[in-house]
Formats: sequence, C-alpha cells, structure tokens
Amino acid sequence: MNDRNNKIPFDEDNYTHNINRNNERLLDRRGFMKTLAGAAGVFAVSTLPWGAVAAKELLGLGDKEYPHQKIADVKDIAVGDSVKFHFPSEHDSAILIRLSENKYVAYQNACTHLRCPVYWVKEEKEMICPCHHGKFDASTGVPTAGPPRRPLPGIEVKVEGGAIFAVRVKRYEA
Amino acid sequence: MKRSYLGVLALSAVLMLNIVFTQMVVHQYYYENYAITILYACVNILLFPIAILIYKKEKNRGGGNGYEK
Ligand code: FES
Repeated sequence: MNDRNNKIPFDEDNYTHNINRNNERLLDRRGFMKTLAGAAGVFAVSTLPWGAVAAKELLGLGDKEYPHQKIADVKDIAVGDSVKFHFPSEHDSAILIRLSENKYVAYQNACTHLRCPVYWVKEEKEMICPCHHGKFDASTGVPTAGPPRRPLPGIEVKVEGGAIFAVRVKRYEA
Repeated sequence: MKRSYLGVLALSAVLMLNIVFTQMVVHQYYYENYAITILYACVNILLFPIAILIYKKEKNRGGGNGYEK
C-alpha cells in the first residue's frame, strides 16, 4: 500500500476510485429502473384482488338473493321521513325514504365518492353527503351536485302486511 | 460518455399506464362492468413482464465505459 502511494499516479486496478460516498451507486440509472420495474410489479399484484372479485361476480354469484329483511312498519314512518337500516349485511348501511303515501325508495347510503354516509334532508328533498357536499336525487339516487359521479346503489323494497321489506340490491343499468 | 434515457422513459411510460389502468379497474368495478374490470386488470398484470423486459434490455445501455457487462 505504502509504496503505491508514493508513485503518483499509480495504476488503477479498479473502477471505484471515484466513488466517495457509501451507496453512491444505489440510485444510479440502473437502480432507478429497477425501482420502476418493481413498482410495476406492485401495481400488477394490487389489481389482482379487483380482478378476482370481478370474476366472482361474473360467475353469477353476483345476483345473489338475500333473505328479505324487514326495515320498518308502515305506521312508524311518516311521508317525508327516513329510516336507517343495514342491508344486505350489517356492514352495509342503507337508508329508506318515504317520498309519498305509496312511494318508498331505499339506497345503500355509502357515498359513491369516498363512502361517507349520505343522509336525507327532508326540507330540501335531497340526500346530502356531509363530507364534500355531494347531493343525490332522492327518487333516482343519481348525483346532482358535488364530487360523486355514480348513482347510489338502489335497494328494491316491497310493502307487505303493513311492513316494508328490503328485497335485493338493484344492479346498475350499464 | 453517452447516456441512454430510453429505458427510464419507457419504464416511466409503463408506470403511467399502470396508474391509469388501476384507476380504470376500480371505476369499472364500481360501475359493475365486471368483464371490463378483468380486462383492465389483465392489462395491468401484463405490464409487469413488459417492465421487466425493458429493464433487462436497457440495464447495460448508456452511461457506460463498457466495464460493466
Ligand atoms: S364522500 Fe360524499 S361527497 Fe365526498
């Protein structure tokens, strides 16, 4: 080593003499490309579950019938009022609105923007999302203002023997 | 010393497409167009081998004094 330092310049026997910091070559062009390719892999993996769930729906498990569920008694809900319920599972909150004497509508009330719970404002005859002031038309579930773009999923209801039942979740008409 | 940014640019483009298709997958899923959801998901997955291919081809290009092979 010592005798080497005395001869200037000494013969280079490696190509790393100009690397000053540790890990200097960690984010060179090649390392960067490696990161990009890895990120593409992460994207590929993360879309898998979506594909899987979509495939499951396609295979006919989609149009499942849920057991009819009683929401409320007709006498308990006045025209213009709403009740909250859960359908089809207890994690899917939903809202039933009595628009007129015989007209009931029900929607899953997770906002189609970022899933905040939408509620019914009787005075304005609109469903409003508190998070970013999305508004939905009560008779169709179509968004009328704010960030949401997709209509709320409707729930089919039927009235039977003085009570209102949830029958199924309607599918979007594409 | 000649630099080649082709690989970096191509991979960036691939990643951009990844983002776009992921977005499409999620949206089409909520619109309940399941066939289209699967289509986009497949495209997204196919982009990964493409990215690997680009990387393999480009990793030794440019910026080189020829010592790393
Ligand atoms: S979550 Fe409903 S408007 Fe954003």
